[in-house]
Amino acid sequence: MFASSPERTAQAAELATAIRPTAQAAARLVPVAEPLRALLADGALRRGTAVVVAGAAGLGATTLALSLLAEASASGHWCAAVGLDDPGIAAMAELGVDLARCVFVPRPRGAWAAATAELVDGVDVVLVRPPARVAHTAARRLAGRVRDRATVLVVLVEHREDWPVPVALDVEVVASAWHADGRLVARRAEVRATGRGITRPRRVALWLPDAGGAVAEAG
Amino acid sequence: MVRLVVAWCPGLLREGPKGEEPRRFAEVLDAAVDLAPFARPVRLGVLAIPSRGPSRFFGGEQVFAEHLATSVAPLTGGAGPVCVGAAEGLFAAVLAARASVFVPEGATREFLAPWSVATLRDPDLAATCQRLGLRTLGQFARLEEARVLERFGLDAVRRHRVARGIDGELPGLRDHAALRRLDVVRHRDDPREVQRGFFGERGGADLRAAAAARRLERQLGVGAVTVARLGAGRAPDDRALLVPWGSTDAERTARDLAPWPGRLPAPSPASIPSRALAVALLDADGARVTVSAGGLLSARPARLELDAGRPRAVVAHCGPWPMAERWWGVLRRRAHLQVLCEDGLALLLRAERSRWWVTGVYD
Repeated sequence: MFASSPERTAQAAELATAIRPTAQAAARLVPVAEPLRALLADGALRRGTAVVVAGAAGLGATTLALSLLAEASASGHWCAAVGLDDPGIAAMAELGVDLARCVFVPRPRGAWAAATAELVDGVDVVLVRPPARVAHTAARRLAGRVRDRATVLVVLVEHREDWPVPVALDVEVVASAWHADGRLVARRAEVRATGRGITRPRRVALWLPDAGGAVAEAG
Repeated sequence: MVRLVVAWCPGLLREGPKGEEPRRFAEVLDAAVDLAPFARPVRLGVLAIPSRGPSRFFGGEQVFAEHLATSVAPLTGGAGPVCVGAAEGLFAAVLAARASVFVPEGATREFLAPWSVATLRDPDLAATCQRLGLRTLGQFARLEEARVLERFGLDAVRRHRVARGIDGELPGLRDHAALRRLDVVRHRDDPREVQRGFFGERGGADLRAAAAARRLERQLGVGAVTVARLGAGRAPDDRALLVPWGSTDAERTARDLAPWPGRLPAPSPASIPSRALAVALLDADGARVTVSAGGLLSARPARLELDAGRPRAVVAHCGPWPMAERWWGVLRRRAHLQVLCEDGLALLLRAERSRWWVTGVYD
């Protein structure tokens, strides 16, 4: 009776509009760990944008980039890491990354841009370490894709110039120093953030990592 | 040479048109691993197990072999009986399994003597030996090593050592392509879309991520997409396991979360080089720094040569943490040391096989 009702299609469409979720501002954000919120304009990663994490080898840029995934993965977002052929799994776990929600493509063998684009379709946060200086077109194409799919792209490079297009947020590890006491205890790092929505460059001192392997604010 | 028990499944040596054999052999292997954890495949249809541990546990090598044969026999799918044998060295052990013989210790050379030279898997060498009238391994083994080197070259010397029962590994004995195939079968046989949880635990986001991973795997090849798991162990690289996407190993087990006494303290290095990188650690006089059996450094490290010609000054070091592990198998002695270089680079070094290796970069 009901199944053959002529109004059935109209009812279904009405129902669909009634229950369609409206995009809330909070839904466009991906959370980050508490100590990192001071660095970001919205206190969180904004979907559809890219973040460049830069820092010379040994300063802690890798730790910073991995820590950006921690809260996202822990709150149920899928993450991916492309081109990280040597991820410190134990360090990621200590930072609070939920490994059950991380996909790794450690050696994309020259197809890193294609692999990143593919993952931008599928997951919420993609961390990529390009093998060398990136071509302008490849970077622009990826940025477009990230905007379309409302994903967050985190780019890990040694120098800011390696990623040739402007992004919503630039984070740089400026300086860092280890504290050792019978073992390497913690590293105090000075991090500077510039970008859209940030009028004056923000400088934050962080334990990157602290004695337990997590990220913490350094007073 | 390690004494090995080898199981030889005659019906599973070759992959047939249906591709049944690797799957069956994977089941055989799993059954063998249940009995003896160090069971390893050699090639399709052949698996080897170090004899010492299981022999002690089951009360004798022959008893263990019977256990193995009975537990494996129903899994071959009517592909004939399973032959089990034991000998020292892989080459002799595989031949022993084919003949279902348990070669007594020290009698490897006598056991090998009557076998044909063709078993050494070198047709050219076999043909030349036949022409020279050397038909058996025993006759070939009686040649002087120097003469073999002169006449046949270095590769033949390795085969000569195998024929003399000194060495057990023969090039071509292990079929690596088949082993990779087997890995794929073992990890991939389970359905990917496992419905976990009771209701709705696998949401749209999970399916979207799974679809992307599968597309990527099709482009880049099996094993290119991995998931990580934190395993058991003390050193950070022992704990890190990268397993192919969709494999059953990705499930975390409770055992791996148990505390490990002697584990290196947090924080762990953010990068773990996938290939071991040898470094030279030198003291102020330019002598190599070593770790004594008691776990002490021979001198204070002053310089680190990461790649040739670029020494870095070491400003501080922490450790060493000595570890002696696997006393039941091949004993492994290692020591870890954290070094802090002048330019702020902090590294985790490992002393193993009297060298230093970079096992972690605190980046």
